[in-house]
Amino acid sequence: MEFNGYAREHGGYGIRNHVLVICSVNCASGVAQAINRALPEVVPVINGYGCGSSGHDTVVMLRTLAGIANNPNVAAVLVIGLGCEGLGAEHLANSIKGKTVECLVIQRDGGSAATTKRGIELAGRFLSLARGQKRVPVPITKLVVGLECGGSDAFSGISANPAVGAAADLLVEAGATTILAETTEMIGTAHILRRRAATPELGEQIEKLVNNQEKKVRHALGEWAGMVITPGNIEGGLSSITEKSLGCIEKGGTTPINEIVGYACRPVQHGLVIMDTPGYDIDSMAGLAAGGAHIILFTTGRGTPAGFPAVPVIKVCSNSTTFKNMPGDIDVNAGTIIEENKSIEQVGQEIYKLMIRVANGELTCAEKNLSIPFNYLKEGPTF
Amino acid sequence: MSMVSPESRKSEVSMTNNALRTNLADNVIIALQALKKGDMAIVENQKIFEVMEDIQAGHKIALESIAAGEKVYRYGEPIVEATRTINRGEWVHVHNTRPVPSDMTV
Repeated sequence: MEFNGYAREHGGYGIRNHVLVICSVNCASGVAQAINRALPEVVPVINGYGCGSSGHDTVVMLRTLAGIANNPNVAAVLVIGLGCEGLGAEHLANSIKGKTVECLVIQRDGGSAATTKRGIELAGRFLSLARGQKRVPVPITKLVVGLECGGSDAFSGISANPAVGAAADLLVEAGATTILAETTEMIGTAHILRRRAATPELGEQIEKLVNNQEKKVRHALGEWAGMVITPGNIEGGLSSITEKSLGCIEKGGTTPINEIVGYACRPVQHGLVIMDTPGYDIDSMAGLAAGGAHIILFTTGRGTPAGFPAVPVIKVCSNSTTFKNMPGDIDVNAGTIIEENKSIEQVGQEIYKLMIRVANGELTCAEKNLSIPFNYLKEGPTF
Repeated sequence: MSMVSPESRKSEVSMTNNALRTNLADNVIIALQALKKGDMAIVENQKIFEVMEDIQAGHKIALESIAAGEKVYRYGEPIVEATRTINRGEWVHVHNTRPVPSDMTV
C-alpha cells in the first residue's frame, strides 16, 4: 500500500507542503498574523508564551515548537522573534533541520512594518518553492497517525472509538505507526495496558506512567479529581473508571504497545506507540504534531471543529445527531454503527480509506474551515 | 452454500440491531437504544433473548448468567465484578456490580 507524499531532505515524507510562520514569543504574533493576512496560504503558529516560563516549561516549549516545524508536512519555516524573549528566535530556527528556515527579529530588523514586509517576501518565496514540489509514491510504512478524542459521549466507546481502533489495527498491519495519546484518559487501565506491552519492561513503564498521572490529577484537582477520573457519566451506563477509560483506549486497537514516548517526542518504533499527553485536545494534538504525526484521527461525541496547524485532523463522530447538527465539521459518522447496522470493521475500513485519500491530498473538514487552534502543554507558572 | 432461505434472509437483513457486543469474549451487550422489558435484544442481525427489564441506551445487558464474584467483560477486558447473580437479559450496572478490587476506585 502506498500514498503520494513530499520527500524531505532527511528521509521523511510529508502529506502536505505547508509554509509555517511561527512566532517564538507572543509579542511577535502581530507580525506573524500580518504576514498571514497578506499570504492566506501560509500556516500561522501563534505561540502564546515564549517568555517568563520555568526552565522545564522552556525545554518543552522549544521541543514542541521545533517539533511542529520539523513535522514532515512542513516544507519551509519562517520564525518571527521579538529579540529580548526567553526563547530566542535564532535558537528555535537552529533547531529546525532539513528544510528551508529563515528567522526575522523585530527589534533587530526595523520594527513591525519592516519585519512584516521582509516576512511577506520570504514567505512568498517559500510558497512558490513549495508549489513547485511534486508528490512521489511513498510506502504506507512511513505514515504516522495520531489518535485523539475530545468531547466524548456515552456512544464514543461504542461506535467512534472502536471504529478508529479498527482503522488503527489496519494501519499497524500495513506497517505504519499509530500514536495513542492522552494519559489522563488511560487512568484505571494501567494493569490492562501493562499486559498489552510488547515487553515486560515496557509494561512496567506504562503502569508507572498511568499511575503517576492519576497521582498528578488527584494532587492538582483534590476533591474535583472526580470530574476527570470518575466514570464520566454513570447515567450514560459506565459502571467503573476502568470501563470508561477502556472506551477511550479502544482507539488504539488491539495490537501490542511497542514504545512509550514523552510529550512532543518522536517515536522510534513502528506499530502502536503511547505518547504521554494531557487530556486537553489542543495541547495533546500539539504533542502529536511535534512527534511527527502526519494525520490525527479524532473521535468526538458532542462534536468539535478543532483541527491543528499543518496536520490534517479527521473527525469521527459517535452519533448521527451530532453529525447532522454540525454539518461541515465532521468527516465520518460512526453513528451508522448504531442506526444503520454497520459493523465496527466496516466503519474502520471507511476511516482507513478516507485517511489514504487525505494522505494523498483530500482536505478534511477542519482544513476546509481553517480551524487551526494552537496551544501546548505548560505545567509551571508564568513569571 | 447458504442454508438460509431467501425469505428468512430478507427478514434478517431488515432487522435492526438494537444492541452491540464489543468483543467476542464479552459477557454483556450494550443497548444501542432504549429497550423495554420484554423487547427482543437483536445483535448482529439475530434475535438473542428477551430483555428482563427496561434498559437505557448505552447501558449493559447480561448476555449470560453471571454469578456473584464473577467478572463482567466488555471490550474483552474485566470492567467490574458481580455482587449478586445477574441473569441473562438483566441490566448490569453499579447496583449489581462493584469495581474489581485491585482496580482503581474513586
